[in-house]
Formats: sequence, C-alpha cells, structure tokens
Amino acid sequence: MSEIGISVPNVNVRGPEVPRTIEALDPVFTVSNLSVFYGDYEAVRGVDMTIGNREITAMIGPSGCGKSTVLRCFNRMNDLIPGARAVGEILYHDENLYGDHVDPIEVRRRIGMVFQKPNPFPKSIYDNIAYGPRVNGIKGNMDEIVEEALTKAALWDEVKDKIKQNALSLSGGQQQRLCIARAIAVKPDVILMDEPCSALDPIATTKIEDLMQELTRDYTIVIVTHNMQQAARVSDRTAFFTAEVDGAGVRHGRLVEFDETSRIFTNPSDKRTEDYITGRFG
Amino acid sequence: MAILSTPRSAVQLASKGRPLKEHLFRIALMASLAIALAFLAMLLLYVVEKGWPRLNSMLWENQPSIRRPETSGIQSGILGTLWIIALTAVMALPTGILAAIYLEEYADRTKWYNKLIELNISNLAAVPSIVYGILGLGIIARWLQFGFTVMTGAVTISLLVLPIVIISAREAIRAVPPSIREGSLALGATQWQTIYRQVLPASIPGIATGSILALSRAIGEAAPFLMLGAATLVRFNPEGVWSSFTVLPLQIYSFISRPQEEFSILASAAIVILLAILLLMNSVAIWLRNRYQKRW
Ligand SMILES: Nc1ncnc2c1ncn2[C@@H]1O[C@H](COP(=O)(O)OP(=O)(O)O)[C@@H](O)[C@H]1O
Ligand SMILES: [Mg+2]
Repeated sequence: MSEIGISVPNVNVRGPEVPRTIEALDPVFTVSNLSVFYGDYEAVRGVDMTIGNREITAMIGPSGCGKSTVLRCFNRMNDLIPGARAVGEILYHDENLYGDHVDPIEVRRRIGMVFQKPNPFPKSIYDNIAYGPRVNGIKGNMDEIVEEALTKAALWDEVKDKIKQNALSLSGGQQQRLCIARAIAVKPDVILMDEPCSALDPIATTKIEDLMQELTRDYTIVIVTHNMQQAARVSDRTAFFTAEVDGAGVRHGRLVEFDETSRIFTNPSDKRTEDYITGRFG
Repeated sequence: MAILSTPRSAVQLASKGRPLKEHLFRIALMASLAIALAFLAMLLLYVVEKGWPRLNSMLWENQPSIRRPETSGIQSGILGTLWIIALTAVMALPTGILAAIYLEEYADRTKWYNKLIELNISNLAAVPSIVYGILGLGIIARWLQFGFTVMTGAVTISLLVLPIVIISAREAIRAVPPSIREGSLALGATQWQTIYRQVLPASIPGIATGSILALSRAIGEAAPFLMLGAATLVRFNPEGVWSSFTVLPLQIYSFISRPQEEFSILASAAIVILLAILLLMNSVAIWLRNRYQKRW
C-alpha cells in the first residue's frame, strides 16, 4: 500500500465535472467513457478509470450510484440481465472486452467474481472448488487443484478434515472464503468482489481483508465496498462514485474522483468526495 | 440498564388477551383439518369395509367376468393402468421438464409468443379432462388411426398432465436461487452447464414430486377413456403399446353400473386397489421431498 499523507493544497482546480483521475502504470482494464443502460435508463454515465495490475482498486459511494453496475461490466455479468447494455470502451490489457469476437464465457473464466452474499453451491466443499476447473475442462490432479485453491484462500487448515461435507455447513465467513477459493481454482487474472464482507462479522471481515492482501501478489482485485475504512485499509486506488441528477431529473451514477487511496482519504480534490469520506454526505 | 429493576416494564410486557384469540384461531384451523381428515377416513373405511370380502388374491389373479362376479378379478385393469402411467411418464415427463427449462431459463418474457405460451399453459391446466378425451378421439384415435390402444390412451393422458408437469417443474426450477446461477456463470460455465450441473440437480426433488402428483392425478381419470370409447370389460392384459386395454376407473364404473350386489362389492375392492396405488405414489413423492429437501 502507498504511504498516507502527502500534503497537496486542497484546491478544486479541475472543477467537479472533470474527475481527477490518476492512471495506473500497468493497466489491466482501461475504461473510457463507459455508460451502462438498463433498458432506456442510463444507470451510469461517462466513467473513465484504469485498474492497475496486481493492485487493489476500491469502488466506494452511496447506494445506487452504480458501483455494482460498473463492476459487473468487467466480467460481462451484465450481459445476463435482459436489456442491460454497456456503451463506451473497456480494454482488458489490449483487447476490447466488448468486441465482437470476445466470448463472455472466456472473459468470466479469466475474471472471477465474489458476490455480496456468500453463494456456495449446495454440494461438498470439494465439489464447490472442483466445479470451475471441471466446467472449464482444466486437466490435472483435481485433489491438488482443490488443496491449492483452499490453501491460497486461507481455508485449507479449517476444512481439510471435512472436505466432503456440504459447503452450506460452513460459517458465513468460511463460505465467503470458499467462494474466493472457488474463483481462484480456475486460475483467473482478476478477482472482482462486490461488497464481499457486508454479510460478515468483523472477525470474518478481517480475515478476508488479510486474504486480499495476500492475493494481491498474484491477482488484480477490484472491490466494491460500503465500508470506507475497508477501502482505506486494503486498497491502492479508490474510485468514488455518486449519483447525480441531470437536467431532465434522472439520476445517473457518476465517477467523481479516482486516485491513490492515500490521496482520496487525506486530500481529496473534490468537495463531494471529502463530504462523503468525512461522513457529511447528504 | 435499569430495565430489570423497573416494575413498570414488567406490567407493559404482560399479555393483553392475545393468547385467547390466538387459541381460537388455532382451534378453527385444526377443526377444518379434522373435517377434511374425517371425510377421508370415512370414505376409506366405507370402501374397505364394503370391499373386504373380495380383497383377496383372486382380485389381481383373475380377469373380470360378467357371469361370475364372485370370482371376477381386475387384472386387466391394474395392468392397463400401470401401462398407461408408465408410457405417460416416458412421454410427458421429459417433454414437460424440457418445456419448463425453456420457459424458466431461456425464454425472453417480454416477447409476445412467450407470454402467449405461458398464458395458454395455465389455461390448459384448467381444461376439463373430458375435453382431452374428445381431442384424443378425434385426432389420435381416428385421424392418426391409432385406434383404441394403450398408445392413444397414453398420448391423451400425456396431453392432460403436460401442463401440470410444466407448471410444477417451473416452480421447482424457480425455487433455485439466482445466486447459484450467477455463481456458476461467473466461473466461466456456459448456460447449459449451469442448468445441467446446478439448476437441475437442485430442482430434481421438486420436479419429481410434482411429476408424481401429476401422474397420480391421471390414474383416477375415467372421463377421457370413456370418451375414447373404451371397452369396459376387457378380459385380457395389454401386450404392448398397440394393444387394446382398459383402466381401473373404467372397470370400477362398469361394475357399479350392474345390478348385482357382488359387482358393487367388487367395485369397492377395486377402489381400494386404486387408492393403494395412489397412496403409494404420493408417499414416494413425500419421501422424495423430505429426503432431498434443500436448504440454502
Ligand atoms: N437489473 C437492473 N435493472 C434495472 N435497473 C437496475 C438493475 N440493477 C441496478 N439497477 C439500477 O442501477 C442503478 C445502480 O445500481 P447498482 O449498480 O446496483 O448500485 P450500487 O451497487 O452502487 O448500490 C440503481 O439506480 C439501480 O436501481
Ligand atoms: Mg451494489
């Protein structure tokens, strides 16, 4: 994580309409002018940001400002919602994620996702982990793949004696780490997390946060969180979103500011970011 | 902190006559249940008592006979009913389950033709069974020239239970939480892999339960078979799908319409057999539901 407290005069030189964004040096995703529609409703408008390789990028902002919507564009999960449509460009490394030749199935294999509510399959712990490799036709010793994924997700020691038990018998925190292990088992490049700790107690939350720090050595992580302390604790860069009402009275999610986490939390360049992180948000 | 030491709060927590109302409501609920059960018990007692003298092995070992009601059996009816149920299961269950998968997992609900299909299926489930008999007679027996065979009966009964199978299978599929599908798709599984490896295994108990209940409804049907012009007193067993046949409800109907008391006793005994098959199927359904019940 970057050090905190670089002092820069708090002036809003660029104005609120042009978000201050710092480009990641080695981007995994480059988002340009992304708007997302549900039918005719433009839920998110004009997002520009980059996701750095082997970094943790946090997305924060009030409910309904489009954080999940943007996150679900990164692995094309929005394709599954009838009427959902992304306009603009997302480059994954150098490839257009929404290009004609791109297979969303392949995208999702490389870009894993962990959901808000732990969603283990109603199968054994082993079968939960083995599911991804199996459907993707990954060859190799399945026992080893399962053990490796569970070890990486810091769950192996807790479950190694009950690997054939139903995953639903695990605690909420263990279930969420199982879901992370399940995502790791297909050897993804990126892991997207949509409020992964919001259903967990503080101890389980700490475990997941520690795990994220471990995982960032091998994976790029994008996390949506409601918890600003969490964003400050774990992330390298933070994107602050909010909902704005346009001239016609329609609410759209906007990216207000995207910067190194240390700057967002000590010296935000936008008044709205500052209000939000200091808890003065209306 | 002081809640326990304040006597007033204890007073506020005291009941306000709610238990009495709650009690009355429970009694009303139990009385309704008791009435239903009492009727069922009376019915069962009545047929078992009346049919008792004929509830012996002659019943399933012998064929029906008009001249000797005291030794007449119902073997052709039992086997006819089993043939119809088996063939109906083979035809209606795969079709109904696949249709349910299409409607739940693939169909775009906003398209007019899918809306039309949905509406029609609910309507079809409410169509009286005799109408299916007319359809079977006109199209399957006559136009397709299947005649009055096991095949004609099974196709007609399949059409009758299909909407019920579809509706109950859809309910079972819908009960699988969307988060399971999302979890699977997010791992790079295709839609068909997700359905085949997650949705179907999770909904199989519900689908099986609904299917058995749909088939057990078909067992009791007499109207469509009457409409098809079935012979009521068939003295031989069906030998294949193109063989003619009769079913238990039709045999019961033909026995009851005869004046001799012996036939009325025989009918009661046949009803007991029919009910036994029904109860057996329903208990399999209940067992399946309890055995494989999912918690999420
Ligand atoms: N499937 C959907 N269909 C229609 N509108 C949606 C759908 N999902 C989200 N929205 C709308 O898009 C906006 C952004 O939602 P979301 O991305 O879930 O916000 P957040 O994750 O920041 O709370 C909200 O106004 C929400 O109502
Ligand atoms: Mg969200």
